[in-house]
Amino acid sequence: MSLVQPAAAPEAISPLREAWIVYRRNRPAMFGTLLLAVIVAFVLYGTFLYAGDPYEIVWAPQTPPGTEASVPLGTDYLGRDMLRGLLKGGGPTLSVGAAAAIITLLIGVSLGGIAGYFGGWLDDLLMRVTEFFQVLPALLFAMVVITLFSPSPITTAIAIGVVLWPQTARLTRAEFLKIRELEYVTAARSIGARNGRIMWRVILPNALPPLIVSATLTVGVAVLFQAGLSFLGLDDPNTMSWGLMIGTNRQYVLDAWWPVTLPGVAIFLTVFAVSLVGDGLNDAFNPKLRER
Amino acid sequence: MAGPLLSIRDLKVEFATRNGPVTALDGISLDLMPGETLGVVGESGCGKSITALAAMGLIPDPPGRVAGGSILFDGEDITHADAARLRSLRGTEISMIFQEPMTSLNPVFTAGDQIAEAIMLHQKAGRAEAGRMAVELLRTVGIPEPERRARSYPHELSGGMRQRVMIAMAISCRPRVLIADEPTTALDVTVQAQIFDLMRDIQQEFGVAIMLISHDMGAIAEMADQVSVMYAGRVVETGSADAILDDPLHPYTRALIGCIPVLGKAAGLEGRMPPLAEIPGIVPPLHLLGRGCAFADRCLLAFDRCRAERPVLEGRPHRVACFAAEMEAA
Repeated sequence: MSLVQPAAAPEAISPLREAWIVYRRNRPAMFGTLLLAVIVAFVLYGTFLYAGDPYEIVWAPQTPPGTEASVPLGTDYLGRDMLRGLLKGGGPTLSVGAAAAIITLLIGVSLGGIAGYFGGWLDDLLMRVTEFFQVLPALLFAMVVITLFSPSPITTAIAIGVVLWPQTARLTRAEFLKIRELEYVTAARSIGARNGRIMWRVILPNALPPLIVSATLTVGVAVLFQAGLSFLGLDDPNTMSWGLMIGTNRQYVLDAWWPVTLPGVAIFLTVFAVSLVGDGLNDAFNPKLRER
Repeated sequence: MAGPLLSIRDLKVEFATRNGPVTALDGISLDLMPGETLGVVGESGCGKSITALAAMGLIPDPPGRVAGGSILFDGEDITHADAARLRSLRGTEISMIFQEPMTSLNPVFTAGDQIAEAIMLHQKAGRAEAGRMAVELLRTVGIPEPERRARSYPHELSGGMRQRVMIAMAISCRPRVLIADEPTTALDVTVQAQIFDLMRDIQQEFGVAIMLISHDMGAIAEMADQVSVMYAGRVVETGSADAILDDPLHPYTRALIGCIPVLGKAAGLEGRMPPLAEIPGIVPPLHLLGRGCAFADRCLLAFDRCRAERPVLEGRPHRVACFAAEMEAA
């Protein structure tokens, strides 16, 4: 053993771990995480505790919440249990949102990454394609995609993903353009790494922070989109979702407020929680904001 | 004696700019002998780094392009090699270390992982084995507690340590040529000396030929066997380190040597420090170069011929491209 003890250097902290430490101190973000966890837990496990077919007519139509013990959140215009609908409808809403965000990320990151890394005519071509998708009215385009195929949660997720990817592509392209000029990319090239390796193993990990933030926020947008589409009656009517509940009950909103409001609140809380998480991630990954 | 390991012959590199093509390298020739150190010296913007990138086949294209000449590695012209051949040369035969060790390491991977990646690119080694080899390399480049340091991220290492990691990565596949582009410019003087010591050790141990690029004549004097002085994309003087340092012929070389500060007793003989020499002006913008000698506008010895005609390298083995030096010799 040497006489001079090296100063106790702090254990290696990976950039991700460091971001987590910052994130943990961020109260709104932790609140959002908790809220999201509660919502997901309700959606995942709620149906086991409160089982039942959300389409089944169980009580008098438009029973207000809290007036009848067997239907705690009341019934809709047909007399269907609101709570069953909310628990059952959360699954498709959330999973379509998440799936749409993943599709967005897959298309956006690969096209944006290729455009930003290779540049030149490939970049021009891919960016014109991106702009073409960007100038299409989003909701209208999603509606077209869904009506072309039969409505199902998968079609909805694909439609939303196809509509939302251009933003992610542009963000990825910008990050790749910036990072490919950095010296460690030249260094990777100088030890003989091939393009694919440089793109996905060297540049992408460094471009992840803004992409993670953007993906999180995309989940929120996709949930809203999904709700909008089912409100318009374009989603599969045999799959209960929050948007579908709002859509089918909207004609009777003046007679009964809760069949529309309760799923609306559920959507609001979900998107709110996801946004808080996204903002928290943004703060955690953005070194300029860390010092505050 | 064997021929040069890396031989750059009359290399021209052009960059497309808004003002039309600009010649960044205008017919330079350099020879790097096996196991020797070639110092390439010059001010900022004279084409040193472009030379290094060209030797790696890493000129950004577009806007850059090799417009003429050849780069022979062990007799093979790499300016015409395809991408796959270049990749297999990089790292295994020719490696490079960079000026800024903060930015030349990937911030999101540990030092050990990055070295292991470099090993796995060219050698048949599993992750665990590559990891062990990485630790060994860190020990070779003089990093204390290599097992622990291998798990450190670049931002947790000092500048000198980062440069050692960079060197470890560059020598991981035993290249025969190591190109060092201003390897110590971003470091403290004391650390600079340590890195030079390390490079000398590595040269002795692995027999690697080093092309040391620097603007610092002092660094070149300490390290190089051969020296080439570059100015505005041309080689203006080349010869053995002793010849160039003791008997510089080109006014630019003399001026560069005059810029080395003199310290200690030698400086204080007359009771006060001599003023530090400087070279007036800057390297001219490359698209404004005239027909004559590129250095003419800043040269104290320049005469009419210097502005009208371009001098070529003359003499052997100590070669210089200067009309004034030629007249002096005559």
